[in-house]
Amino acid sequence: MDEVFKALADPTRRELLDELFREDGQSLGALEARLPMSRFGVMKHLKVLEAAGLLTTRKRGREKLHFLNPVPIQQIHDRWVAKYAAPWASALGALKDELEEEQ
Amino acid sequence: MEQEQLYTVVGGRGTMTVFEIYIKATPERIWEAITDPEMRKKYSFGVGTESEWTEGSEYRSAVPGVVEIASGENVEVDPPRRLVQTFQALWSEDVQKEGVSRVTWQIEPVGTSCRLQVTHDQLGEGANNELWGGWPMILSGLKTLLETGEQLDTPGSLMYAKAGG
Repeated sequence: MDEVFKALADPTRRELLDELFREDGQSLGALEARLPMSRFGVMKHLKVLEAAGLLTTRKRGREKLHFLNPVPIQQIHDRWVAKYAAPWASALGALKDELEEEQ
Repeated sequence: MEQEQLYTVVGGRGTMTVFEIYIKATPERIWEAITDPEMRKKYSFGVGTESEWTEGSEYRSAVPGVVEIASGENVEVDPPRRLVQTFQALWSEDVQKEGVSRVTWQIEPVGTSCRLQVTHDQLGEGANNELWGGWPMILSGLKTLLETGEQLDTPGSLMYAKAGG
């Protein structure tokens, strides 16, 4: 989890994740074109994000495509937010039961 | 693995999404958690998945009498490493219209852990994000279940848990 927070602590890396959230599965070339930064700089940031598990890659031909992997962020959510979601989910369940009974 | 290259990634969230998690468990345990309906319920919104888990067999994910979630065919079944399934979402009229996509579960040992990748692809252009939006919750819950064995209170484990009894 340390690695996730370190990776997220940098604005450029957050911007890269925003970029993948907007359009998933982008190549290095495409990401590089979006940021005012050298290819080497972008590569370095992508490496940190990959080591933290925040992105995952697939090869397509000669290209490497980058995909946002939100699972580590979900784990952070689960750790500190899940217990607040529990009553919410059961309330929705009760609401659903009620609505279905009315039908 | 190379067959993914056949499918083009397009704009928006693309025709392909990839989710990945490391779990401290054996491939066999992870396989069991994916294919055992009772284990699966604990981290998949309370929804069990029933199947014979043979190639060409059908599967059905549902809370019987409450909600149908998905159905499809097990295209490739290679325990405990790889499971490829077609995926037809059923939980609402909107997602039913999206048609059939594909889900690939890939388990790879890494040291004393495993990397689990779920690739949801062959999605239509601009596909409804509900189709793949549940995977992070499901995978995070799966990790918690296997590593702690505890009763989960992750959001993914709760939604139909009550309705399913």
